[in-house]
Amino acid sequence: MALTIPSPQPTSHSPPFQVHRFPQDQYIDALRWLPQLSAFHRHVLLATFNSDTSISSLQTLTYTPNSPPNLSLQSSYPTPSRITSLKTLLIPQSPKPLIVASTLSGSLLFLSADLVNGSLDFEFSVPEKGFHRGPVSGIDVDGNGSGSVVSVGEDGKINLIGIGSEGRGSNQRFFDSNGLVSYSTVKWASPFEFVTGGLGYSLQWWDQRRPGGPVSQFKGNWSSGTTSGIVHSVDIHPSRKHTCLAGGSSGTVFAWDLRWQHQPVILSGAGTPETYSPSESEIWEVQYDNYTHSSNIRNVSSSRVLPAMICSEDGILAVIEQGEVPMELLAEPCAINSFDIDKENPSDVICSLEWESIAILTRS
Amino acid sequence: MPGMTSDSGDHSTSVVPISPNPQPTTYPLNHGLKPPIARLSISWARGNTLRVTVLRQPQPSAANGEEEAGGKVLEVKLSDNRDGEIDDAQWRRIAYGSVTPFALLQSRKNSTSTLSKISALDSTEWWQYIMEYSREINSLLGNPKTSPSLAIEDQKTVLKDVQKPTCFKAAWELMEIFYADQHSQAWIPERLLDWLADYDCLFSGTQPTVHSELVNFQKELVTRQAVEDHPKYWEAISSTLAIGWLEIGVKLLRLHGSYDFDQLGSRETENGLVEAVAVLISKMPRLRADLGADKLGECYKNKPDFVKAWEKWQAQITKLDCSAFWLQCEHHQTRDGLKNILQTMLGNSTSLSNATFHWMELYIAHFLYIRPFTAGLESMYNLAQKCMQIKPVSGHHKLIGLLIGILGENPEVVLAECSKSFGSWMMAHAAELLAAGNIQAEMLLQKEQFQLGGICIEELNRLVYAQVLSSHALTWQIAPIYLSSCMKQGMGLLETVLSKQALQHDQVLLKSIEICRLYELGTVSSNLMKITAVHDWKHGKKGSGVFWLQQARDEVRLNRIAKHLFDFVGKSLSDGSFKQWEGLIELLGPESGIAGGLEFLNKYREFRRSLQQVHSGTATDAAQRAAEALISLMKNPSTPQRFWLPILHDSLKLFNWAGRPLLNVSQTNVLLNKLQELSMARLRPDFVNADLPPEALNSVRLAIATNLGRAILEE
Repeated sequence: MALTIPSPQPTSHSPPFQVHRFPQDQYIDALRWLPQLSAFHRHVLLATFNSDTSISSLQTLTYTPNSPPNLSLQSSYPTPSRITSLKTLLIPQSPKPLIVASTLSGSLLFLSADLVNGSLDFEFSVPEKGFHRGPVSGIDVDGNGSGSVVSVGEDGKINLIGIGSEGRGSNQRFFDSNGLVSYSTVKWASPFEFVTGGLGYSLQWWDQRRPGGPVSQFKGNWSSGTTSGIVHSVDIHPSRKHTCLAGGSSGTVFAWDLRWQHQPVILSGAGTPETYSPSESEIWEVQYDNYTHSSNIRNVSSSRVLPAMICSEDGILAVIEQGEVPMELLAEPCAINSFDIDKENPSDVICSLEWESIAILTRS
Repeated sequence: MPGMTSDSGDHSTSVVPISPNPQPTTYPLNHGLKPPIARLSISWARGNTLRVTVLRQPQPSAANGEEEAGGKVLEVKLSDNRDGEIDDAQWRRIAYGSVTPFALLQSRKNSTSTLSKISALDSTEWWQYIMEYSREINSLLGNPKTSPSLAIEDQKTVLKDVQKPTCFKAAWELMEIFYADQHSQAWIPERLLDWLADYDCLFSGTQPTVHSELVNFQKELVTRQAVEDHPKYWEAISSTLAIGWLEIGVKLLRLHGSYDFDQLGSRETENGLVEAVAVLISKMPRLRADLGADKLGECYKNKPDFVKAWEKWQAQITKLDCSAFWLQCEHHQTRDGLKNILQTMLGNSTSLSNATFHWMELYIAHFLYIRPFTAGLESMYNLAQKCMQIKPVSGHHKLIGLLIGILGENPEVVLAECSKSFGSWMMAHAAELLAAGNIQAEMLLQKEQFQLGGICIEELNRLVYAQVLSSHALTWQIAPIYLSSCMKQGMGLLETVLSKQALQHDQVLLKSIEICRLYELGTVSSNLMKITAVHDWKHGKKGSGVFWLQQARDEVRLNRIAKHLFDFVGKSLSDGSFKQWEGLIELLGPESGIAGGLEFLNKYREFRRSLQQVHSGTATDAAQRAAEALISLMKNPSTPQRFWLPILHDSLKLFNWAGRPLLNVSQTNVLLNKLQELSMARLRPDFVNADLPPEALNSVRLAIATNLGRAILEE
């Protein structure tokens, strides 16, 4: 955690936006926007940990943006262990989004959120036994293709869990490195391919049709030979499936293009003076930001990396773009541990702060 | 918050207050293990928690593979009996919120002290900084006092229903008035009046106050008709006026029955008198900087104007007091009540004493009506003593203790009271106000004390607070901010705090490493990495263990780890399991600088790759490359001895290469020497026999000898 002495805000180059902070009195392990049902209020999904009672839970909250903005608890579901990763999936025929949560004890929970009646309903789970040893560090849900969840762990196991009508909850071990390699995050690239990230700024590209090992892999060796780092988060844009965006230690954000595997594009950090680095510490999450310059996506050449949002241990929430000065959205005195851009309404961003609160940004 | 002793009321001399009849508290343990439980171990964990380890008797695992957990570690949180004014979550919110103002003030302090000692020019600026700090901290302690007023106010609601303020906020504001706010110095009596208006309810606990009486009276008011018939009504008005709550007094007066439409005709004179008093009240001169919009009275900023207005106002009261209209007033309760109110306003000490309950209230009444020009702490202190004699209180109230300390110009008492009643948070933060407002206090806080090991009280307070912070899993990250402002022992304690972190989760490790980076604690950082590495290694996360040892540049452990790892590496080319090492080798990276003994893996992979190419083809180029890889591997001291024979055995094809000998004489000699060394080593008891056919050594020896012969002929 870093302490930044507040500077006059907002800076001249940043567009106007509103920030609302909501203290939660419990630690936020993960958060996501939920699909919007009405024009007047929104729903937010939180994975929380109450340190006084040692109870962890999943919660849906109702957010009313009208003045004064209000965030109130709608439903709560106690979880057996703390949540490490949280994903949601909108099921076409159903108004209830599916929630997938991985736990610190190494299990996977599937719930459905009934936003109309305000309840979180248990669907099924994958128990620890024979799944992961120790925490599940990352999961991703494939929304449009095979309908499966991929999970990775520090134990070096990669599992595929079916969520479709047939094989619901079936658990298949796709790969096991026996702890020789640890994975920290995962993201689907296509119905068959996914990318994992982990220690030593490493990325692995996997293909379900070619089991037994990664199809190709990358290791970042730019960090002047002294220290290396960890990839904490990866993202893949649906229109650029050959490029993987990764964020990790020392403010590092880079893009790895499968077509030019040995030439990663460094967007921030990694001791490169020619890039503008908004942060020097851990980048906890990266997501492509469809809001920034979303109008001229088609005009951008396919080798150029699309704008991305990051959050960091030193309290920065910023949008970075190749060759541009980063646009700082928040500079908090405490860490920003995770964020989520609303897919339906990308002007809205929610982020969790280390000091037991969340902030909601509305860009205009 | 730990470090805070509960106020036992009597001033006992014991350091730790002991409750007379300690009741044992039961904490249930839900370990969920099947009996029999063989061992139980209890130790302190972080803060107020106990770590309880429950172990079962080790049993042979059941036949069906259902393994029963061998034990469980539980944490039991011991509740601390604090007066529940502020709950834990709210405390943490205050702790988070006070970080930025504190750090900002420290950095401003440092920049001014490096420029010069605070000169006269920037001293106004300096006071602004202090006030900014004080206001920000104050805002954390509770909601703003003024609640938004309702659109339609109930006529009979005289007291607004607001959330009960905390003693913490009251104490902070008290110190702000006396130490931080330079503007309030000339108007301290009126500031105290405002303060009491906000916090009078805090004194109601053990004895009546104007506030508590008013709360009771309000309940009656709703059901009463013709309030003016009841003596309580008149008492309530006198009381509120005595302590300067003019608005409430006037509001109550206007509830007088003579204002009713059906009564106006018959009670005209009576109503005229009530209204005259109400108007007089609302015209009371006040010596203060400003007056809120909804407040009554007339504001005077300087003394001469005030004195003039005051004398005029008093003359008006006297005139009304001697008026002939009183004789025409038939309602005798009204007459007596109003007369008594006038006496209060004229500063009749008996009336004032009767109208107030707590000595603090009498004190304020004295300022308002008897001695409006009281200035200087000494005379304020004397007046307080006098009021206390008139209205003695039983028991010790923490706010009163604090006020007496401040009025008595006794920083030791103020500090002791803060420490005893408000705990470490207050000590660390209020010291800034104290030091700013009082030279004597500043010297006391910053003098290095021999008994404290050479640190000053200010530093001690911060150290204690930092320890409290670091005892909680969610606030430990704030502790460095406070420790870094401790010149002598801060860094030492920070190292301890970081070293004692429980590092089961990567996130905690990374957050700790980040703090190490900010405070340039490289050694601590690499120690943390080593601890994590060993933990991960022991728990089967070999890759992670190697990674953190590499990060910590711990070659010694990397070498030790290498020895263990090589046991599992497939030693023969035909062994397919080598594939699983690819990921780890990839992680080690091409530069072998910090891989320690593990760099062998990288070289071995190269060798195997080139050898595989040889086996699948007959190109001499590939064979030559394989031979070079073999020599570099055999020359490298990090290649473990147990790999020598399998490597040489795998290379038989190279020695018997059809075209020409691939190894020259000196290279062959290297191999022969290795073979010789191996033969010697076989005699040692710790020799590990390679998993090879028994004739392997002989066939290798023969092949190398043949190669030597061919090489000699070639040269």
